[in-house]
Amino acid sequence: MRHLIQPLLRHRLMPILVLLQVALACAIACNALFLLQQRLVPILAPDGIGQPEKLVMAWNIASRGEPWSSVRLREVQRALRSIPGVESVALAGSLPMEPNAQMNGEVFAEGSRTSADAAVYIGNHLRRTLDLKLVAGRDFDDAEDAIDYAGVGINDSGSTIITHALADRLFPDGDALGKVIRIGDEPDAARRTVVGVVEHLMRNKLEQDNRANIDYSMLFPGVPGQWPMPAFAVRAQPVADAGTVRAAVEATIKRELGNEMIEGFQPSYQMYADMRADMLARSTAAVWLLSGVSLVVLIVALVGIMGLTGYWVQQRTRQIGIRRALGARRVDILRSVQVENLLVVGAGIVLGMALAWAINLWLMRHYELSRLPLAYLPLGAVLMLVLGQLAVLLPARRAAAVPPVVATRAA
Amino acid sequence: MDGFVSEALKIVFAYYLNLAWRRCRQGWPMVLLLTLTMAIGIASCMTALTIFNALSGEPLPGISPHLQVVTMDAREAGDKDQSSYDVPQSWLGLADATALVDAGRARQQVALAQAYVLLGNPDGKQSEQTLGLLAHGPVVPMFGVPMRYGRPWTASEQAGHAPVVVIDTGLARKLFGTENAVGRSVAMGNGSFRVVGISEPWKPRTQFLDVKRNQGNVLGQPEQFFVPAQAALAAGVGPLTAGACGKDEAVVSFQSAEVSQCRWLEVWAAVDGPAELENHRRFVAGYADAQHDSGRFMHPPQAALYGVREWMVANRVVPDDVALNLGLAGAFLLLCLVNVAGLLAARFLRRQADVAIRRALGASRRHVFAQHLVETGLLGLAGGVLALPLTWLGLWVVRKQPVAYADAAHFSVGAFAMLLLLSLLVGLLVGVLPAWRVCRQPLAMQIKLA
Repeated sequence: MRHLIQPLLRHRLMPILVLLQVALACAIACNALFLLQQRLVPILAPDGIGQPEKLVMAWNIASRGEPWSSVRLREVQRALRSIPGVESVALAGSLPMEPNAQMNGEVFAEGSRTSADAAVYIGNHLRRTLDLKLVAGRDFDDAEDAIDYAGVGINDSGSTIITHALADRLFPDGDALGKVIRIGDEPDAARRTVVGVVEHLMRNKLEQDNRANIDYSMLFPGVPGQWPMPAFAVRAQPVADAGTVRAAVEATIKRELGNEMIEGFQPSYQMYADMRADMLARSTAAVWLLSGVSLVVLIVALVGIMGLTGYWVQQRTRQIGIRRALGARRVDILRSVQVENLLVVGAGIVLGMALAWAINLWLMRHYELSRLPLAYLPLGAVLMLVLGQLAVLLPARRAAAVPPVVATRAA
Repeated sequence: MDGFVSEALKIVFAYYLNLAWRRCRQGWPMVLLLTLTMAIGIASCMTALTIFNALSGEPLPGISPHLQVVTMDAREAGDKDQSSYDVPQSWLGLADATALVDAGRARQQVALAQAYVLLGNPDGKQSEQTLGLLAHGPVVPMFGVPMRYGRPWTASEQAGHAPVVVIDTGLARKLFGTENAVGRSVAMGNGSFRVVGISEPWKPRTQFLDVKRNQGNVLGQPEQFFVPAQAALAAGVGPLTAGACGKDEAVVSFQSAEVSQCRWLEVWAAVDGPAELENHRRFVAGYADAQHDSGRFMHPPQAALYGVREWMVANRVVPDDVALNLGLAGAFLLLCLVNVAGLLAARFLRRQADVAIRRALGASRRHVFAQHLVETGLLGLAGGVLALPLTWLGLWVVRKQPVAYADAAHFSVGAFAMLLLLSLLVGLLVGVLPAWRVCRQPLAMQIKLA
């Protein structure tokens, strides 16, 4: 070991520069990969919507002055339902992937302090229209869907369907069916009894950091009152052409509500897939940016280590020749260069991980970012070690190829 | 004598440049790699910096540094029982907002709300859905909105709820076909407003007015009309959204003038100097406490003033990405610097034989140092030149992104100057260590090595 460390200490410049590069690259890569993973969450997470190609969404429909009454909106819903090729229609306060109207809040398991930040979708026939897969319990019945709330409905008690993830979070002992959820922290907050559990349903408030709660959603039956931005989800029959249905939905809503909408707001009539793509466009762009940055960082580090090690080997051609003359085999030289690189890169990694951790702490203090999971540190370490060994491969082989006769040449 | 020395320096400098050029031609793949690495580092940093600069400057240069927004917990008994006042709120009811403005304690003050209203000419042939401000107070002079024709409304017009309006040249052209539309009438709501002034097109560089109604906007939006708030309400023209209203009201209602139960106006004051700021803070706190003591405000009001920058940060107007990307780009540039420094050191030290000969022939260490710095400075400049198209490319990519600040990604002359300076600096910085390393080697050692 000593014969490896001492030259490093004697000629400090090259090892220090390699070490610094590794540390910087490691710190940047750890944090960039972490940000990347955060941005990938909403793209990769299941949204729960079944047969998305048959789902038409009408939203950004805003009333001028007083909100439309539920009676009026149910009329529109019936008109939409009567469009040929429509299987079901939901009338809701907000819909998945809708950016403008969102309902979120802290909900509690009744009788405990276990809470979760969940998205709430209030509307009728939502489960069926969004084609959410029911894994336990039942769908809302007609009586529940007939409820017209005086207010938005968030402060009313009743029944609810929640996602599997939210059920697991609030009721870790399993079997959420029949349990009660308190909507808010106040003692007199509304209570909702769980009647069904669906497999997945993505929330529509996609924050930067949303790994844990992205699948925490609740459905309330009925139609919200006093709500100025109602939205409709329309499911076309499997045999129907969704494009035709979309056009008919647009025409129907324009005919029914067009004169009462506020001026200057364009309602959107979109296929669900397009809405999803719009909502995730920023995340997708960030993913491209961050993966590009990570890749370039790794390439720069690779080239840097390779160049420096190449020089470092060339510098010591004579010493290597002497070692070869004294009986060291080619493989010994190869190994010693590789181990040397391992030592320097290892030291860089230790420094880099400390740096990555410090940067993350600072970012956490100033931005909405969660703690860097410890798993990222060994991941970054392995990445840098592999990178270091890759970079040293060529110079090490060149070192191993030095013939012993070099030792005999005069200095 | 001085002239002679500087002449000699010039010759020496030209010689070093020549040397640098010759050396760069030897082993050009390495030179290309070095320049490219520097260029990528500089370009990514410049791209992030351009956007950061565009979004972090003062929204209204010379004016916004003096502005302060009033916040307080003004919830009354009839308001929705939100359990906490955990973030400062700027919206106030009409009575409180006008009381604060009319007290006239600061240099200037105004209460305002964002509106999005259909404005038309009297015969109804031309109309335009337009962004503008409902305001109580001297909004036009206070924000430095430049006037083309006419004048802002007067205090007595405002007090008399006179239906007057200031519109911008663009709107005037659209509605009346001429820019000078002073004296004409504009139909708004169910009223007719007399145009008293025509303003130049105006928008803040970044959004800071009524940020709640402008959520998602990072860049300032053009405000095309200014109208006295009470006159507007009288004509049935309300703010974009009604704000925070009473318990039994809708959660949000759009463009409603029924806002008597709502908190919907934001009060801004222009304040000069810390003493005046402290005075104003005391005045606002005194007003709020008096309302609380009289039983109107249910909760301790926690009245506070926020400057424009503070207010934008508190409301997260500029997305985190902007600063995060700048940090990322800065760290990346640092990595590129270390990388290039290492490769340069290797490159320089490989040529110790040349250095030894020069030293033996009488070149001092200083000369060797200067010669190497000239070479790295040249490399840095080359990196800067290469970074120019890369920065342009980076900004183009940002403009294509679905982000609210995409329009801020434009190359400016100032940014170009900064880029060149940065690259020269980077080149010199990167060269100092290797150059110093080369000339530090003792002469005897160098000759031996050679």
